[in-house]
Amino acid sequence: MDDVLLRLDDARIGYAGRVIIHAACVTLRRHELVVIAGPNGSGKTTLLRALAGLQPLQGGERHASGIRIGYVPQRERIDPLVPLRAEDVVGLGLFGELRPWQRMGATERARVRDALERCRALDLARRPWRVLSAGQRQRVLIARALVVRPDVLLLDEPTAGLDPATEREIVAMLDELRRLEALAVCLVSHQLEPLAGRSTRVLRVEKGEVSPEARTP
Amino acid sequence: MSLDLPYYLSQEFLFRNALLGGVLVGGLCAVLGIYVVLRRLELLAVALPQASAAGIALSFWLSGHAHAAGDAGHGLALLGSLGGAFGCLLVLAAVRRSPLPPESRVAALYALASAATVLFVASNPAGDIELTSLLRGDLLAITDRDLARLAAVAGGIALLFAAFRREILLASVDPEFARTLGRDPARADTLLYALLGVAISLGVMCAGPLVVFGFLTLPALAALRAAGSLVVAFALAVAIGVGASTGGFALAYQLDLPAGPVEVVLAAVPWLAIVGASVLRRRHGARAIALLLVLLSGTPLACAHDGDSAPGDAPSPPMPDPAARGTFPALPPGEEVAVLPVRNDTGQPLRLAAVNPLEDLRRAAGDPFAPPSATVADALTTLSAVELGRRGIPVRAAETVRRAFPTAPASPAIAAASARAAGLPGPLLLPTLRRYSFGESRVLLVWLDLALVDAADGRIVWRGEARRPIPLPAAQTQTEVLVDATAPLFDEALGTR
Repeated sequence: MDDVLLRLDDARIGYAGRVIIHAACVTLRRHELVVIAGPNGSGKTTLLRALAGLQPLQGGERHASGIRIGYVPQRERIDPLVPLRAEDVVGLGLFGELRPWQRMGATERARVRDALERCRALDLARRPWRVLSAGQRQRVLIARALVVRPDVLLLDEPTAGLDPATEREIVAMLDELRRLEALAVCLVSHQLEPLAGRSTRVLRVEKGEVSPEARTP
Repeated sequence: MSLDLPYYLSQEFLFRNALLGGVLVGGLCAVLGIYVVLRRLELLAVALPQASAAGIALSFWLSGHAHAAGDAGHGLALLGSLGGAFGCLLVLAAVRRSPLPPESRVAALYALASAATVLFVASNPAGDIELTSLLRGDLLAITDRDLARLAAVAGGIALLFAAFRREILLASVDPEFARTLGRDPARADTLLYALLGVAISLGVMCAGPLVVFGFLTLPALAALRAAGSLVVAFALAVAIGVGASTGGFALAYQLDLPAGPVEVVLAAVPWLAIVGASVLRRRHGARAIALLLVLLSGTPLACAHDGDSAPGDAPSPPMPDPAARGTFPALPPGEEVAVLPVRNDTGQPLRLAAVNPLEDLRRAAGDPFAPPSATVADALTTLSAVELGRRGIPVRAAETVRRAFPTAPASPAIAAASARAAGLPGPLLLPTLRRYSFGESRVLLVWLDLALVDAADGRIVWRGEARRPIPLPAAQTQTEVLVDATAPLFDEALGTR
């Protein structure tokens, strides 16, 4: 049981009195790569947001004490108009730790570089966010989540809109992270093929229900 | 035209506070404007200043005050301005869950605030003065105490903004991610809107809604297009804001134009240049940009060349107006200057109240034997002759000149022809009054042009001008204004000998 990092028990999830998912039971453990799948509008992102603590539960419980969440939203969330370089975007992940007048020191900059390197994106550090390709942006956002030093990495459709080669690279990178860094990785995806052989479990969300947690072969 | 910055910043310059106030407003709005543009709050940046203006108009309507009613009036205006801006923000917060898009709600409030401003002003007996001051901003009347308040509040806003810059950035860029880090984006948003509300309230009081909206958007638009990082974007926006405030003020002062619109036009120049260069590059490639840069860089060089030619260069062509300027010239022995009636180009009659009030009553009753009312132009004609005499310049008898020139001539050529016909040889002094207004700010805004014309050929041989505003804190009546303004006015126009 020590490997359990995050758990939803009988969670009822929805917006403004409208329940979208009834009684979800989800457990995330170290070294897992869990995929949340299901048709459009079924509530996959809502479930992910509930796991991240962003969506208040209408019932049930969320157990996540003492763990750090690394959250990777959809790429389009960051406006290309914002004049941030890739390293600035990753640096946003440290804002939770820095005091108001504290400057980013050598330690923090080293952490940013380390996170970029782990995502094979160190060469992008000085490049503006707006000129990065979809795959490069995805790597930078994953680095931003990693700089938090998370126990659980939650990703919202990290492979959507990517070409097959980049898609494979991102999935391989996530697989490597969960194996080597004792992370639990949970991601939303429409397509299961690129994740075949990498994911440890698939959660199906459909008609307000989360399917029993089945281990993939 | 020169930008005499040390003079503008000296205590001697009457509008130093206005200039510094404009710089503070320009810099502050430029910083906050980065987030206005990044978060697509441009419509709010139009509506909030308008709501502030409506708040000022409401406060004066309720209290029955005129806009420029001293320090108490400024305090009242600040209360109204803050009330308008924060009232607007509170209404928007209260209806934030409405199914309508946020832009529609802001647009509705803008329409309401604009209509309310006009109605409050129309209902106020001092409405005319108030409307003009509101729309143009009241920077000219900014006192030392106002400037100190503005600086203190601007400093406070800058400090808060710097302390919570990370929270505001996170909430603006990715609020969900901020929440996973334990930061509350709603608190950061509240702080940002509060800072905007205070900055806009102060800015509207000092510079008017147009300037505030211009500086909240234009510097940020240019900076965000040009900068590669957020720090550079902030620095660029502040540079554009401060530069446009200073340059616009100096330009407006030199050209006698309203400062606010000139500053906004200057603030738009960098953005227009960037957009223009981008369009050119897309359509015609990099060569077109290079050509444009060469042309742009060539223009000032060519201008500088005229006045500063290198040895061996061909001499510059003569200026079209060869008339000398500066101190009134010494005349050949035996010559006398004929001081012609001052031409009034202000568009105002500028009548002076009679010393004896019975004369005014007789004129009002239609008495045909009542003496005609004197005007500022009449008084300035007499004062011109007196001031020339004080400087040792012989002046022709006023009665002789009045017979030849019962009214002011329309041009130097007509003046010369009339003088020749009347047998008045020698130089003629042609004064033209282009501006003359004295308001609640106790400052005389005056523009007097003097031209010394050779009666033989109608040629202008000397020009003098007085355009600097003259502070007259003690003057109460039009006559006192004239008496107190005489010395500085003619010292500037004729020079001191």
